[in-house]
Amino acid sequence: MKKILIAALLVFSLLIIEAFTQGKKEGVLSIFEQPILITSAGQNAEVHLASVLAKRAELTSTLSQNATVKDLENIKTIVVVIGTSLKGLGAAGLDIAQEKERINLLVEEAHKKNIPLLLLHLGGEARRGKLSDEFINTFLPHAKMVIVVKSGNKDGLFNKICDKHDIHLIEVERTVNALEPFKQAFISKE
Amino acid sequence: MITLKKNFFSALILLFLTIIICFFSAFEFLRMHENKKIYPSKGLSTQTKLSTYFKDLQNTPGDTDVYIFQGQKKGGNLLILGGTHPNEPASFITAVLLVENILVSQGKVVIIPRANSSGFTHSDSQEGNPQGFSLETTDGKRWFRYGSRLTNPIHQWPDPALYINPAGQRLSGTESRNLNRCYPGRIKGRLTEKIAYGIMELIKKEEIHLALDLHEAAPEYPVINAIVFHENSAELAALALMELQIEGFEFRLESSPPNLRGLSHREWGDYAKVRAILLETANASQGRFKGKPSASLIVNGKDKNYVKAAKLGRLFVPFDEKGIPLKLRVARHLAAINALVSGLKELAPSIVVELEKMPPPSLVKKEGIGCYLRAQK
Repeated sequence: MKKILIAALLVFSLLIIEAFTQGKKEGVLSIFEQPILITSAGQNAEVHLASVLAKRAELTSTLSQNATVKDLENIKTIVVVIGTSLKGLGAAGLDIAQEKERINLLVEEAHKKNIPLLLLHLGGEARRGKLSDEFINTFLPHAKMVIVVKSGNKDGLFNKICDKHDIHLIEVERTVNALEPFKQAFISKE
Repeated sequence: MITLKKNFFSALILLFLTIIICFFSAFEFLRMHENKKIYPSKGLSTQTKLSTYFKDLQNTPGDTDVYIFQGQKKGGNLLILGGTHPNEPASFITAVLLVENILVSQGKVVIIPRANSSGFTHSDSQEGNPQGFSLETTDGKRWFRYGSRLTNPIHQWPDPALYINPAGQRLSGTESRNLNRCYPGRIKGRLTEKIAYGIMELIKKEEIHLALDLHEAAPEYPVINAIVFHENSAELAALALMELQIEGFEFRLESSPPNLRGLSHREWGDYAKVRAILLETANASQGRFKGKPSASLIVNGKDKNYVKAAKLGRLFVPFDEKGIPLKLRVARHLAAINALVSGLKELAPSIVVELEKMPPPSLVKKEGIGCYLRAQK
């Protein structure tokens, strides 16, 4: 009887631990390979920050603000910098639906080619709101990992989606702090 | 029927009083056309006029002072423009602060503190803005003009109903007096277009590599606390933003829309092919939500309405009871200039600019601007 009780207690404890840790993937997922294609979802300017991060991390990358499926040739990872800039969309001559369609096609093709998606949200609180959230809700579930600047996740939206879809979430204080996890996310070429 | 009794004596007194008031008001009014002196540092190599680069500006209200600091070592050439919009005081004060303090050891720094000098000679009608504001320096008070966003209509009139700027953008008529809509300028254009043309000529003749246009905007304006960059400067802007974050200054990046024509960050890059960046800070005194306009609002940046607006989530910058004082706004500009200069060093080592004796942004933020300025003589 005592053994059964101990076994039941162990199973119960494991279930509790599982319940609390479900979906919470911590630490950097070092599965991404180079070369990288960097693009934005929402025509934001932070895509240039991602490009600088890639250079600082000495990664082989191509920046294409308006990347299409053609740009996926020889690409091993797509880095999508998420956040909507109306100014950026206007400048690119795109509306929300067209931009969504572009990313959608890119993500579908990447899925077919087994190219993983690493998502970055670097604009903080300023890049949240209805339009940005639409992109986050649509495309974050397709990512393997997301790096988010803390002020952009005050309401826990990223946690919620990551928990539900089993995605690694890395929260950083400022953009500059994204460098280390970004670097670690890529398998060294050596 | 009431008949008014003629009283020539009373009428004469009233007429005389009116003349007296007009006489003294006229003096006060004309004082707005005087440029207050700027006291350059020992590092100044040449002081010239914008008309040196475009003769048509000579003896016009569009001509303005240009300060050139040439370093001993050859390097890059940097242009800093203050006062494009004279109702954005952090822009003008930052430029003055630089002229009065810096030494350049490598490269060249060209500073125009009053880019639109005509805009400093009047204030926006029906806004109730003060004519100026004063700052405490170590040896007394110093007075600065608070002007208008636009060229004085006395100098450029009338406005067209529709303005098609030199880059082909259709704008409302008043924008023909907005320097930051008139690039790349026109040789035979209106005064503001000629100023823009003069600046483009300066950029070419001084072989500028990096050009910065300092601005401010209302806290409810979305492009605020921002680095707005031409696509040729994207990497530089991104590098600078990260350095600014390390220094404790939060900025956002905004790319210059290629289809919004006539602005400095667009046309300097497109026509003169220089790295072009515009910097924005948050100035409550030019916002629509502000309470009573005053010199104190310009300097201290405190406003109850903005505190309320921030609580309602209507602003694009944090705004509390402490306000956003001029010293903080100037410190932000200085920090951004530092970060961009150091970014240039990393990206293009052949065009390095080395500035010395620049007031440290952290000290300006803490101790204020006055200790880096001389009092008016």
